[in-house]
Amino acid sequence: MIAEFLSRLRFLFMRRKPADLRGDIDEELAFHIEQSVAQHVAAGVSPEEARRLAILEFGGVERMREQCHEQRPGWWLSTVAQDARYALRGFRRNPLFAFTVLATLTLGIGATTAVFSVVDRILFRPLPYAHGDRLVSVGLTAPIIPEEFMLGGSYYVWRDSQKPFEAFTSEIGVNPCDLTERNPARLSCAGVEASFLPALGIAPVLGRNFSLDEDRPGGPRAALISYGLWQSHYARDPAIVNRLIDLDGNQVRVIGVLPRDFEMPTLEAADILIPEALDEAAQRRADPGRVMYAFARLKPGITAQQAQVMLGPLLDYSLRLVPPAFRKEVHSRVRSIRDRQVHDLRLAAWILLGAVLAVLLIACANVASLLMARAAARRRELAVRSVLGASRGRLIRQILTETLLLALAGAVAGCILAALLLRVFIAIAPEGVPFLLKAHLDLRVVLFTVLISLACGALFGILPALERPSTSALAARSPGSLVHAWLRRTLVAGQIAMSMVLLTGAALLVRSFRNLEEQNMGMQTRGVVAAHIELPHYRYDTQQKQMDFFLQAESALRRLPGAESVSLSDSLPPGGRHGDQIFNIMAVAGRPRPEGTSAGTGGMVAWRWVTPQYFTALSIPIVRGRNFTEADRTGSDCLIILSSLLASRLFPSEDAVGHRIQLVPDGPWCGVAGVAANVRNAGLNGADEPEYYRLRRSAPADWNWYAALTVKTSLSPAAVEPWVRAQIGAIDPTLPVDIETLSQNVSTLAARPRFETALLSFFAFCGLLMAVIGLYGVISFIATQRTQEIGVRMALGASRADILRLIAGEGARLIAFGGLAGLAAAFALSHFLRSLLFNVDAHDPASFIAVPILLAVVALAATLIPARAATKVEPVAALRYE
Amino acid sequence: MTPPSTDLLQGTLDLLILQTLAPGPMHGWAVAQRIQQVSRDVLQIGQGSLYPALHRLEYKGWIRSDWGASENNRRAKYYSLTRAGKKQLEAELKTWDRLSSAIGLVLAGGGRIPEAQS
Repeated sequence: MIAEFLSRLRFLFMRRKPADLRGDIDEELAFHIEQSVAQHVAAGVSPEEARRLAILEFGGVERMREQCHEQRPGWWLSTVAQDARYALRGFRRNPLFAFTVLATLTLGIGATTAVFSVVDRILFRPLPYAHGDRLVSVGLTAPIIPEEFMLGGSYYVWRDSQKPFEAFTSEIGVNPCDLTERNPARLSCAGVEASFLPALGIAPVLGRNFSLDEDRPGGPRAALISYGLWQSHYARDPAIVNRLIDLDGNQVRVIGVLPRDFEMPTLEAADILIPEALDEAAQRRADPGRVMYAFARLKPGITAQQAQVMLGPLLDYSLRLVPPAFRKEVHSRVRSIRDRQVHDLRLAAWILLGAVLAVLLIACANVASLLMARAAARRRELAVRSVLGASRGRLIRQILTETLLLALAGAVAGCILAALLLRVFIAIAPEGVPFLLKAHLDLRVVLFTVLISLACGALFGILPALERPSTSALAARSPGSLVHAWLRRTLVAGQIAMSMVLLTGAALLVRSFRNLEEQNMGMQTRGVVAAHIELPHYRYDTQQKQMDFFLQAESALRRLPGAESVSLSDSLPPGGRHGDQIFNIMAVAGRPRPEGTSAGTGGMVAWRWVTPQYFTALSIPIVRGRNFTEADRTGSDCLIILSSLLASRLFPSEDAVGHRIQLVPDGPWCGVAGVAANVRNAGLNGADEPEYYRLRRSAPADWNWYAALTVKTSLSPAAVEPWVRAQIGAIDPTLPVDIETLSQNVSTLAARPRFETALLSFFAFCGLLMAVIGLYGVISFIATQRTQEIGVRMALGASRADILRLIAGEGARLIAFGGLAGLAAAFALSHFLRSLLFNVDAHDPASFIAVPILLAVVALAATLIPARAATKVEPVAALRYE
Repeated sequence: MTPPSTDLLQGTLDLLILQTLAPGPMHGWAVAQRIQQVSRDVLQIGQGSLYPALHRLEYKGWIRSDWGASENNRRAKYYSLTRAGKKQLEAELKTWDRLSSAIGLVLAGGGRIPEAQS
């Protein structure tokens, strides 16, 4: 066995030159024939007749030569190499074909792989928790907080008496915290219940989970640190466990390290987990109690919907604690953690995936169409090779080698393109798209891609190859395969239809995006720089200290050259978090307060703390009354300015200025100083909320840890930024400051629609390009095939215009057919886009008229070029064609 | 005129060639003649299968080829068994014996023996 193997190896490597081998075989066969002749002569046949008989008996010399060759080990390998060489020669002879196929495959595969890598985490990949599909987020929903939440007054009752879950746990949110040892850092700390990690099915990679004792108020201070922090701050030192670190000025014991892929179910970044350490007894009595977020593990066989129904009695319990006005608008919600994480993103992800799959389909159709055209053009070549003795298997292998070669090259180029595209996505992607930064091309996605391209190549490569090369193909006037022609036309019509759908979608998004960009914000963002400052809680532990810092910072910034106005507020429009309260708890002096459950909440009202120059800094006009003055700041009056929207709701028939309003029950009564114009305050595409501005007086009670310092400057914001940093650094050098221009802030809000629009437009463009290439290919192929017919027609008196009509008519039929089908599909599908659209109807007439016109023009141009070429044919030349 | 040809069982051609070459080196023509002669014209090896088989056996390392002078002093390619070839021959002979005796048993025990055709 081994000897045999070695012998094979020897022959494989010590290969003699083929010519040598052929000489050997020839000489051996010649000897054989001579012996045969000699035998015949000996039997009394004449020498000539003997030679004839010998050769006759011997049979096909060439065939036997081949057979002797085929015995050689590694013969297969050499034919594959031969096929590949032949294929490459063919590509060089027809570079346009090879390039088009390659480019199409690259684009299709690259785009699909990149998008798939992005949406994979959003739509498909399992969560990094044990049996993550059974984990749910549980809680109440109310207009005030967009995501479901729990309250201390209800949580413990729910936890102890719920039925549908086998584990029920909570966290109280992520807050900034400061590491105050030799290498200080601003981190984020999440407070979690002791049962949090076990409920999610997570075990620390090092150390242990919190004990119940540590999760009590006044218990031993403990912390679990993230893998990232362990790596960056402690150089992965295993001795970190049980070490004491300084967190917000306290000595805290590190009890463990979280796994590398740990993430909070809310996807908030958390460097450190600490016990929430709530006083359970106090919370049970409290109303409403601490805001918490609850997560639970469903018992096997119970769905989230069933769980929500089973929680009914507990919801009733919680509703009793809710103010009557609220009750109608509080519900319970149980949904999977993935739903909570991706909510509105899921739709966008599906749309992108759909778009890119459409591009892939168009690409595959293009490749198929090109391969079929090539096969039709090569029918004669194949027939000749078949007659010369090539076996059918050999021909199929040859064609498959060619297509697989193209497919593999396309896969490689596609992967490279995908890697580039992914970088572009990450570069232009908005913040807050979960997982995007972690998206990468993994083996699974690459494998998926390569398989698709191989399947594409094999399927469409083998289709033409399977057709038996007939001798009729040897004759010059072969009518080509009718089935192929029909299939190619269908493919092209399909491509046009799909491009139509993509283009319409893109057009709708582009229009929506323009509406978004050009809308009136109600304020001026130019030349406004905002510095967001969150004071460290442990150093600025009194409101006096907080106010002192911010007032000092304000007067420092006032001294900056070019600073026209400087204001302090606790939030900035149009996005960002701002204060929210219920409309119906506001009371106007001299009117009865709305009471009872029938009134409901009246919706939400936004509000902000501002200083007088807020309105000048953002150029928000005061339409009634007056602005706050500097003198107001030192006064003791509570003053507010209403937005026009709120003023018209509170005072539909009278002037708001001068009225007094109690904002919350038992709160202070505030005088309305004026009415400001409306400003967009619910993001770029949300419905505006009524709003009021409360004067931030120079009294400690009006201050907290956070403020945004807004500077309106006549200089370039880029020049002002370092000055702002320097001024704040002079007051507190260790303070992290986040500086951006207001235009940047607004542009960030538009980032997601921009991202979606850019991507869909890109895919639509690719799809259109490929469909046009496909159309061009088919029409020019048809024109070439009918060259002779054209010659006959012209000889019989057809004018060039007739010929043009004949060929272009073919293209026009395909365009009309595909276009109409696409238009119908686009009309049916566009409502999926509705939630992504801003001020554009899903059946926007402008888009649905412009896109077909554009497509028709481009597609007709693609048919006219080859059609015109067909009319240039000289009748005589055409008749002699082939 | 031509004797009825008997289709060779798959794989038996290798055995026949190895057995024919066992006494000593021989060229392709002689191998064919010898097999025909010894089998009293029952087995006629076509050139179409003889030469590919010789090449195959050579690639397998069971036979070796050397150029030498023929009886009438022409250059001819002589094939001879290698050590591996001798072992292979022994093994194949054993297999053949086992197989043919087994077939003999089946035919003998099968009841009626059909009349011989030739």
